[in-house]
Amino acid sequence: MNTLPEAAGPPSRSVRVVIVDDHTIFRSGLKADLDASIQVVGEAATVEQAIAVIATERPDVVLLDVHLPGGLGGGGREVIAGSVPLLAGTKFLALSVSDAAEDVVAVIRAGARGYITKTISGAEITDAVYRVAGGDAVFSPRLAGFVLDAFGTAPADIADDELDKLSVRELEVMRLIARGYSYKEVAKELFISIKTVETHVSAVLRKLQLSSRHELTKWAAERRLL
Amino acid sequence: MTTIPVRPPLARNSDRVIAGVCSGLAVHLGWPVRNVRIAMALSTLAGGAGLAFYAWLWIMVPTADEAARRNARRPASPIAPAVSLPTAAGSGSRADAGPPRQAPRGFGGPGTWAPGTWTAGPATGPAAGNIPPGAAPAAAGMPAGQPWFRVRSMRYGKEILLGSGLLLVAGIMIARLLGVNVPLGTLIPAAAVLGGAAIAWMQLDETRRAGLVDKTKADQAGGWARLAAGLALVVAGVLVMVSGSGSWEQTWLALLASVAVLGGVVLVLLPWALKFWRDLETERAGRIRETERAEIAAHLHDSVLQTLALIQRRAGNEHDVLRLARAQERELRGWLFQDPGRGTGQLSDRVKAVAAEVEDLLGNAVEVVSVGDAAMTEAREALVQAAREAMLNASRHGGGAVSVYLEVTDGHADIFVKDRGPGFDLPDVPEDRMGVRESIIGRMRRHGGTAEILSSGEGTEVRLRLPSTGPDTTEGTA
Repeated sequence: MNTLPEAAGPPSRSVRVVIVDDHTIFRSGLKADLDASIQVVGEAATVEQAIAVIATERPDVVLLDVHLPGGLGGGGREVIAGSVPLLAGTKFLALSVSDAAEDVVAVIRAGARGYITKTISGAEITDAVYRVAGGDAVFSPRLAGFVLDAFGTAPADIADDELDKLSVRELEVMRLIARGYSYKEVAKELFISIKTVETHVSAVLRKLQLSSRHELTKWAAERRLL
Repeated sequence: MTTIPVRPPLARNSDRVIAGVCSGLAVHLGWPVRNVRIAMALSTLAGGAGLAFYAWLWIMVPTADEAARRNARRPASPIAPAVSLPTAAGSGSRADAGPPRQAPRGFGGPGTWAPGTWTAGPATGPAAGNIPPGAAPAAAGMPAGQPWFRVRSMRYGKEILLGSGLLLVAGIMIARLLGVNVPLGTLIPAAAVLGGAAIAWMQLDETRRAGLVDKTKADQAGGWARLAAGLALVVAGVLVMVSGSGSWEQTWLALLASVAVLGGVVLVLLPWALKFWRDLETERAGRIRETERAEIAAHLHDSVLQTLALIQRRAGNEHDVLRLARAQERELRGWLFQDPGRGTGQLSDRVKAVAAEVEDLLGNAVEVVSVGDAAMTEAREALVQAAREAMLNASRHGGGAVSVYLEVTDGHADIFVKDRGPGFDLPDVPEDRMGVRESIIGRMRRHGGTAEILSSGEGTEVRLRLPSTGPDTTEGTA
């Protein structure tokens, strides 16, 4: 994930970002960490604030904490649900200290374009922001692990619904990401272009969001891990 | 029922004339078969009582085969023996309504009793079907004598209660037939009151048990029904007694009046009772929250605050701070998200534990992602140790975060350990360096696995693979 802006396409203009997190310290730390080309146009600490700020600012990317106070208790999921009309122009990148599968999967299924943990570096977050702004999906190794666990490691061969299984290629990409490979390294390993890797990741994200497999939600709810 | 001492279970014998009832009864009672048959025939002459009795036993008593099968099939009921421990045996009302617990002492003596032959089984005809064999082991372990009664009363309390009641009724009817003037007008209401009270008071036992075992909705519903039944009986009994004459019109009127009064009282008291109930619930919830809070506070104090203090003291040493923060994060995560009910000791747990160890040792983060899981075996322990060696190398020479990926499928377990260090060439590693050659490659080979090391200027990846030998793989439990 240490690939860079140029792979995601150099930004024609600076990316406008809203940071949603209930910890002031974390918000200011993140702001200081982000690349200068990223313009933080708003901050919010609760679900209501977030929905309001996003509606007025119309940012390119929202850095969204999974756990937020306010609203009906739905946290980041609720913010996305409350901003559905803007989803075409605004991308959500989930940012969490929680590794719990049910949190991650819930926010991704609500419409987030990616998920990263709060412990990653400012450069990596910057990279992820550009990637999401460019329409790609951002998968951390752990999210890739969740996907492999939820969809199973067997490729789609006799799947009745193609949404319920990953293709052989998608599985390969997910495995490499879970192993800690960056998109660039994945591309090199599989002899494909970075663009193709991004396509595969986006396809997996779509399956994760659209799969009606009831096991997925059940799996996430049952899974309690660190 | 009055003839008791139990030895062999009552079951219809295969040695039969009609249905094996008499021979079964004979075995059960320890009488000669002939006597039983004669008694049966004689009692048949007494208004057909013997015939009715025979038919009853025929229907209700299982054959010896059935009984054996039933006992074998049915597991010991966990509740039944525990329910009616003779704790409340002193309850006067119950003793009057028909002595329930102490009853057996009055009927039939202890008799001799051979533990070996006494398998659990019905002692009384009518109840043949509903007695769980659960008490058998307990009984078998006890010496004949005093405790034996406790076991017996535990098992047949309800039946004895019922039987005594029926006997009482029969006795009263006989007395009336014989011309004795039985004051039915007082007896019936009194019996109703006592019966109702007994039913209601049984609640006490029930709720206690519910508290001990499991509080289910069904239990509560049953409890309410019982309470209502008991209440109705008592109210009716009291009414009839109070109305004295026992005239039905008067009774109905009185009943109506008292129901109206009761309704009024309930109407007035309900809000108060509800408030009381709600307060009680709130207080209970508050107490639970308070306990939880205290536990969290204690934990945070023991771990997080201590670590923060340490971090402040060592603020100058970045390496230490990082390590402390990492270790604390791991600990807190484990406490917050780990399901305490889940068993540990799976392969993924071992890998995570080893990763944490390496993290503590060298300070660099080791991120573990696992897919699937399996139980530990000797070979898998070797896999974990090889992975540990790889993690140590990666952390030591890579000098940054280490990614570990564990994947368990039906066929094999794979572990990938990746770092972003400068890399190295295996042939360049000196022969005396045991780490890579011996601890990783050699160890994997000895346990039927493979190890592959790929290194470039952008990092190193160690790939370990161990084929599964047993079918003990469990997916998705990581």
